[in-house]
Amino acid sequence: MLTITELSVNYGAVQALSNVSIEVPKGEVTAVIGANGAGKSTLMRTLSGLVKPGSGSATVGGVTITGRKPEDIVRLGVALVPEGRSTIPELTVEENLRLGGLWRDKAARNATQVQVFDLFPVLAERRSMRADTLSGGERQQLAIGRALMSDPRVLLLDEPSLGLAPLIVTQILELVSRLARESDLAVLLVEQNAVTALRVATTGVVLNLGKVVMVGSGSEIASDEQLRHAYLGY
Amino acid sequence: MTTFFDYLLGGLGSGAIIALMALALVLIWRSTRVVNFAQVGQAMFTTFIALSIQTWTGSWYIALIGALAAGALLGVIIQYLVLRPVKRNDTSGAIIATFGVLIALQAAAGMIWPGGSQAFPQPFNNSGIEFAGRVWPISVYDFVVIGITALLVLGLTLLFTKTSLGLSMRAAAFNPEVAKLSGVRVSRVLTFGWALAGSVGAVAGILVAPVSTISPNSFDILLVYAFTVAVIGGLDSLIGAISIGVFTGLIISLVSGYSDSGNAPVVALLLLALNLILKPEGIFSHHKARSV
Repeated sequence: MLTITELSVNYGAVQALSNVSIEVPKGEVTAVIGANGAGKSTLMRTLSGLVKPGSGSATVGGVTITGRKPEDIVRLGVALVPEGRSTIPELTVEENLRLGGLWRDKAARNATQVQVFDLFPVLAERRSMRADTLSGGERQQLAIGRALMSDPRVLLLDEPSLGLAPLIVTQILELVSRLARESDLAVLLVEQNAVTALRVATTGVVLNLGKVVMVGSGSEIASDEQLRHAYLGY
Repeated sequence: MTTFFDYLLGGLGSGAIIALMALALVLIWRSTRVVNFAQVGQAMFTTFIALSIQTWTGSWYIALIGALAAGALLGVIIQYLVLRPVKRNDTSGAIIATFGVLIALQAAAGMIWPGGSQAFPQPFNNSGIEFAGRVWPISVYDFVVIGITALLVLGLTLLFTKTSLGLSMRAAAFNPEVAKLSGVRVSRVLTFGWALAGSVGAVAGILVAPVSTISPNSFDILLVYAFTVAVIGGLDSLIGAISIGVFTGLIISLVSGYSDSGNAPVVALLLLALNLILKPEGIFSHHKARSV
């Protein structure tokens, strides 16, 4: 579904990504893991249009997304849940969700909102409360819900575990992987927390200093002790 | 005691006008984090245009509509020509640029409409209403001013809370990156914000002109009051701009009544200083702290 081909990104003289190629099939979670500074967030920001690539491309269902603006990329079916607090605290839960699909027609948007409330019942309970009254886990659910409101074909998740309790991380990731299977969604998950990410991922990609150093099944990477020591630090 | 209430009543109309101008400043600040010092210059310019329309057609209503349209257009032109190129890398540069725009507008107005101060015809009766055996310090025109202000505030509130465009504007103001990722065309929304603020400022201009006069510099004092009000209100709060705006109108009326109208700006600046010492983030601000 999402095909990344020889993508390179430079920040001035620093090469943040170099010739990265990844295939993200639909119905599965693909995890990109790596230490801090490996280029994981740069990859996500480039795919969503916030950063312009130096060379290479990414396509979704054959349509090139690289080089387009973020507001156009989301319309092509690629939604990013950015790292950290990516909800707008001053808006209510429902407003945050509405925002995610504002450009869609009202009937379609309302139908998706019903699905999101099914998926995250706590958001339905808190719909008229301001987002800053939510707990960290609830806010991450809201951020994912906002992204789902655009009815994406590709969901990009940047470090969803950041600052959350392990149990909540597991719950959220399991929900995401079920969502991928059931709605035929292509999920690209970027994580520093490799153990959790590889548990739900069909395929794992190890990124180090902007380069892909290994691609394999989730369990393959988790059991490769040398690799773990070298790149993942555990 | 009667005098006290008379002074209060007499301040309502001017308070509403100050509130509108402060509202225009707040609209721009909320979405761009720029204090638009050119706002009164824009209002002065569009009021001159309104005066020309009024002289031409004889209708105040057509002049009002003309001012609204000219305000929106001028706001968009300024954003495109001046703010967009500057703002890209520099907020304080953008604020200084708005000063430049103010000076340019005043110079241009002086050339286009020469001859110094001009009177703006009274669209409604501006003498005190006679009721219950006495003359009250409030006129039909004051009621028109308060009514238009209330309508605008109601309209803006509905726009921000009930419409998709309003939600886009709030999202773009609070977090442009998340707004873009959600599909909001942020730069278009910002342009709309400049148009909206331009129109609100233009209304303030056309409403204040009949009770003062109009010249390239005649609205400068309005900038002092509106800026004071916007800062005390917290710069990003519509309710703050309106309530502090009306409050300031009342204070000015009291100070002018009990002492001399020349003291009013001093009192306004004292209020601003007090506010910056005691509650620098503003009374109605969403944000807890702001460096001043």
